[in-house]
Amino acid sequence: MSGALERRPGPRRRPALGYDERNAAILVFPVVAVLLVVAAYPILYSFWVSLHDIVLTRPLRRPFVGFDNYLRIFDDERFWLAVSRTTVYTVVTVAVTTLLAVLVALLLNEAFPGQRILSALLLVPWATPSVVNGLMWKWIYDPTYGLLNALLVQLGLLERYRAWLGDPDLTLLLIANAAVWKQMPLAALLLIVTMKAIPDDLYRAAKVDGANVFQRFIHVTLPALRPGLMLVLVYETMISIRHFDLFLIMTQGGPGDASFTLSWLIYVETFRSLRFGTGAAMSYVLAMATFLLSWALIRWLGKRI
Amino acid sequence: MATITCERITKRYGGVVAVDALDLTIRHGEFMVLLGPSGCGKTTTLNMIAGLEEISEGRLLFDDKDVTWQPPHKREVAMVFQSYALYPNKTVRENIAFPLQLRRTPREEITRAVTEVAEQLEIGHLLDRRPSQLSGGQRQRVALGRAIVRKPSVFLMDEPLSNLDATLRLSMRSLIKHLHHRLRATFVYVTHDQAEAMTLADRIAVMKGGLVQQLDTPEGIYARPANTFVAAFLGSPQINLVQGEIAPDGSFARGAFRLALPPGAAQPGRAVTLGLRPEDVGTLAPGLARLEARVDLVSPLGSETHLEVVAGDDVKLTLRVPKEWRAQEGQVIAVGVDPARLHLFDATTDARL
Ligand SMILES: Nc1ncnc2c1ncn2[C@@H]1O[C@H](COP(=O)(O)OP(=O)(O)OP(=O)(O)O)[C@@H](O)[C@H]1O
Ligand SMILES: [Mg+2]
Repeated sequence: MSGALERRPGPRRRPALGYDERNAAILVFPVVAVLLVVAAYPILYSFWVSLHDIVLTRPLRRPFVGFDNYLRIFDDERFWLAVSRTTVYTVVTVAVTTLLAVLVALLLNEAFPGQRILSALLLVPWATPSVVNGLMWKWIYDPTYGLLNALLVQLGLLERYRAWLGDPDLTLLLIANAAVWKQMPLAALLLIVTMKAIPDDLYRAAKVDGANVFQRFIHVTLPALRPGLMLVLVYETMISIRHFDLFLIMTQGGPGDASFTLSWLIYVETFRSLRFGTGAAMSYVLAMATFLLSWALIRWLGKRI
Repeated sequence: MATITCERITKRYGGVVAVDALDLTIRHGEFMVLLGPSGCGKTTTLNMIAGLEEISEGRLLFDDKDVTWQPPHKREVAMVFQSYALYPNKTVRENIAFPLQLRRTPREEITRAVTEVAEQLEIGHLLDRRPSQLSGGQRQRVALGRAIVRKPSVFLMDEPLSNLDATLRLSMRSLIKHLHHRLRATFVYVTHDQAEAMTLADRIAVMKGGLVQQLDTPEGIYARPANTFVAAFLGSPQINLVQGEIAPDGSFARGAFRLALPPGAAQPGRAVTLGLRPEDVGTLAPGLARLEARVDLVSPLGSETHLEVVAGDDVKLTLRVPKEWRAQEGQVIAVGVDPARLHLFDATTDARL
């Protein structure tokens, strides 16, 4: 009986390109060509840039410096500051997004009056362009006209209007809040889809076995949710770590260096200081970091599924 | 200790009445089968007994205790589902142990109980596998194991065998029967398979449209079906049902077709439906009514032969006869029918006369 379950793949040989595959190659070629031009070329070009000392204030001088740009980054204390800011921001954003998404998905997976309307409303933040989202939250946090101030003062929770984004202790969290507002719906939607696939009988069995609501969540919902959770965690991490537009609109890295993240650093280095070489190198570091982090997350979470 | 009493239990989904004022008493230690076609409310009834479905009206008692509003885990019932409903991320061992873990049973006791159950069900070698690595029959054994490990007094099973192939179904059927003998618990078993119902049940409740049509032992239901629906639902091949009327001489008549009935069976002139089980025919002998028919089709099954015959003008009948009968298609045969074994139903109400 156990023998039937063992699979022993025989040695496999790569077949020569068959007729169909040749045709396929011809048909796929245009797409590959376009990808090469729009994706591979910029990637390779920026790598080339990162190996040269290119400063746009002296455009004709572009000596090859090898990996000096990279080495210089790691000596730059702004870089390490940006790493710590980015870490805080990413961890907060991803954690809150995921937790909220699970809660919202659990809620919307139940049948109750208004559930459909609420599900539809959920998509509004997601459909909002991130620039609009940034502007909206900037207004909400506004020191003189802001909704947050008005609300808190009216509720008696606050004495006087505050410059929310001007508080270095709060800035990152407030921006993270804006990001969560926009990102959470998609994550929740993904988890709802995963939840819908859980057979009802499993919940019934668990009820009869004596599991309460919490135990049913732990033993039935959560295990089934793991693939969805992994996707959400990896995806949210990948985009949060590279967030830029919210910072550009809301704080420009400030106050002081309170929201000085990696993507902001790259922007400043490249387009304000016009040091394209180091800017490109930093971009590469950020891209590699994102890639490695995602890979580690997938490996780590994948083992638990 | 568990007698289950349903007192006029009703379940409504919006305007749909799934179960209609069901009265049913399931005795302690009894094997009760709920039998009926798809959509007749079997699952709904079972779910209400389990506590998985709210009861719209009526009362449910376990012994003398009103459990109408009790949640499932307070009712001490175990359930086996058609879909097995094993926890996919848990191993077989963990699946079986789960109900005990929830009850905070000491670890050594869990280990002992799981081992014992696994031995009973012959799944000891599968304990470390996950459900996805098991065959359908093995999965259903694990589901049974998860149910019996708690030693509950009530077992509820919703078509547990209908996802299995025919041979496996037979062996699982006897396994379940043995379990019932050994556990001495109350079993409520839902199926639409009449053979399963006949072999397993102490009593069968035949359901249709949310109503119990008949509640009796398998023999009782087979021998004295309460109406044409029950008569047609049990037995394979199906009972022959012929519409006609009672002739002045007291026999059954439809056109040229005549069949003698026991004296005083029904008023002459009354419209009735005659029921004749395919196997209730034999060689002609004194005391038997004569049935003459032309053979239309012969289906030898090895152990027996099924004949499709036409009697009178248009009365099509199926007969089960011994394999030694060498009937030819087109041949006219005469067989004997014991009038006492015939069933008569009212033509309008379909109820047994
Ligand atoms: N959640 C529900 N909402 C509305 N109607 C329902 C619901 N569940 C069941 N019903 C209806 O109640 C009736 C009885 O359903 P039930 O599931 O008890 O049938 P069943 O006898 O178990 O049938 P099957 O053999 O197909 O499983 C059916 O007509 C069904 O359509
Ligand atoms: Mg059913």
